[in-house]
Amino acid sequence: MSTAGPAIRVKDLHKEFLLSHSGIASLKSLVLQWKRPSLEHLHVLRGISFEVAHSECVGIVGRNGAGKSTLLSLMARIYKPTSGSVEISGRVAPLLELGAGFHVDLTGLENIFVNGMILGISRKELEKRLDAIVEFSELYNHIDSPVRTYSSGMNARLGFAIAVHVDADVLLVDEVLAVGDYEFREKCQRKIDDLKAEGRTIVMVSHSGDDVERLSDRCIWLQNGRIEREGDPKEVLEAYVTESTNELASQREEAMTPTNEAECEAGPTS
Amino acid sequence: MREELARLWQYRELLYSMVNRDLKVRYKNSFLGFLWSLVNPLLTVFVISYIFKTAVGNAGQNFSAYVLAAYLPYMFFSMSIMDATGSILGNISLVKKIYFPREILPLTAIISNFIHFLLALVVFFAYLLVIYILYPGSLPFQATTIYLPFLLLISFLLAAGVGLMASALNTFYEDVKYIVGFVMQMLLFLSPIMYFAERMSHDTPRRYLALNLINPIGILCNAYRKTLLAPQGAYGLPPLPIEWGLIAYAAGLSLVVFVAGYWVFNRFKWKFVERP
Repeated sequence: MSTAGPAIRVKDLHKEFLLSHSGIASLKSLVLQWKRPSLEHLHVLRGISFEVAHSECVGIVGRNGAGKSTLLSLMARIYKPTSGSVEISGRVAPLLELGAGFHVDLTGLENIFVNGMILGISRKELEKRLDAIVEFSELYNHIDSPVRTYSSGMNARLGFAIAVHVDADVLLVDEVLAVGDYEFREKCQRKIDDLKAEGRTIVMVSHSGDDVERLSDRCIWLQNGRIEREGDPKEVLEAYVTESTNELASQREEAMTPTNEAECEAGPTS
Repeated sequence: MREELARLWQYRELLYSMVNRDLKVRYKNSFLGFLWSLVNPLLTVFVISYIFKTAVGNAGQNFSAYVLAAYLPYMFFSMSIMDATGSILGNISLVKKIYFPREILPLTAIISNFIHFLLALVVFFAYLLVIYILYPGSLPFQATTIYLPFLLLISFLLAAGVGLMASALNTFYEDVKYIVGFVMQMLLFLSPIMYFAERMSHDTPRRYLALNLINPIGILCNAYRKTLLAPQGAYGLPPLPIEWGLIAYAAGLSLVVFVAGYWVFNRFKWKFVERP
């Protein structure tokens, strides 16, 4: 891995989705809607450019639908950009949904191998890290039971344990710090802190301003598929929170106004 | 395409462990385990032989072996293509969350069924041996069995090509699954599996025969039967020779289908996550 240049370079990234109103695609919809395709373009990302240096931690905040998760998925190569590019140097570990690739009929141990290989680790490397993964997941006796017997917490623990032990250069974290019980959340946060201290590059999406403020060196605020503001986490978060509260207040006002009038009309005596 | 193949090569260990997972999962929770994949064709062939010997009549000597030799490859085509067709949609939650070469999913379905096929062939040869021991006559094993690897390669390419194409299309149009299921069922009757190709070529005008023989699955099933077993004419007709011209046609077509299937798959694979 070369340390020259940024770890992540996002250049004028656009992502457009086609939305169908008919739901599930079928030949039926193709035939029926041959002449009037009910497809709608949804422009989720509208030209985003930024760079993340090696060992930097960047937090991304924004309202629901601002494009945070889409951005992260594009970085994880799940989507192909409509235009623009994402370049990442080194191995990427996406912590988008923990335990997403588990097969319920296989044991925890077997799933470690399948899941690890999906993340790009060889069998040999995985064998070396097996003990560390099992220990971190705290599943000891359960590791040989089928995953279908696991609770959702155990699932998440195993998923997190695999993802943080793949020795990735870049970690993409999407809200996963909010899973599991209090103790495990603490442990995850400590692990993320450790990884940051080790010099990994981290991009995290979170609704929790605390997480972003504590961990990030820089914060990006996404609004309607564009970067609204970028810079010091404290300042950006402050601006974001202020804007959100203002908007919420104005929305509430709008919602309240007609009700007030109605009340006035209903009760002229008051 | 070279870039895609290079990436697939990087992920070969994943493909290996996915096949492993597939084989494990399929039989992990059943009592007879792997035997199920043998019980099914053996019982089916037993029933077919029974009906042909009693109801249809004049089936020929050692009929069940001849049915089995063509039915096992048919089973491979049918099962692997059906499994591959549903493979992307069945794992869409995985596809939406993690990046890996998408072709691993249909290829896993093809390869794990191919392994079943190979194991079934081992059982087939054991079956021949048992028959030879019970009814000693001429040795049932043929010199032409050396063409088996070649036939296996063609069969694999054909199944993989159809499977890749069908899995990609099925992700957008779920009707594909039903069409594929129907076509595979019809091919059981249209291919010389429950009857001999000799019968077709004798009774049927050439143009109907074309419909039957133009399908590469029928040609390949017949080729397995011709190379693995002693030539036997049916219904008092002399046996046909191995038709290398038809096999060459099937080989060429399989290669074209494989390349076309992979091309179609690569065109669509980035759209899987965005299916409307």
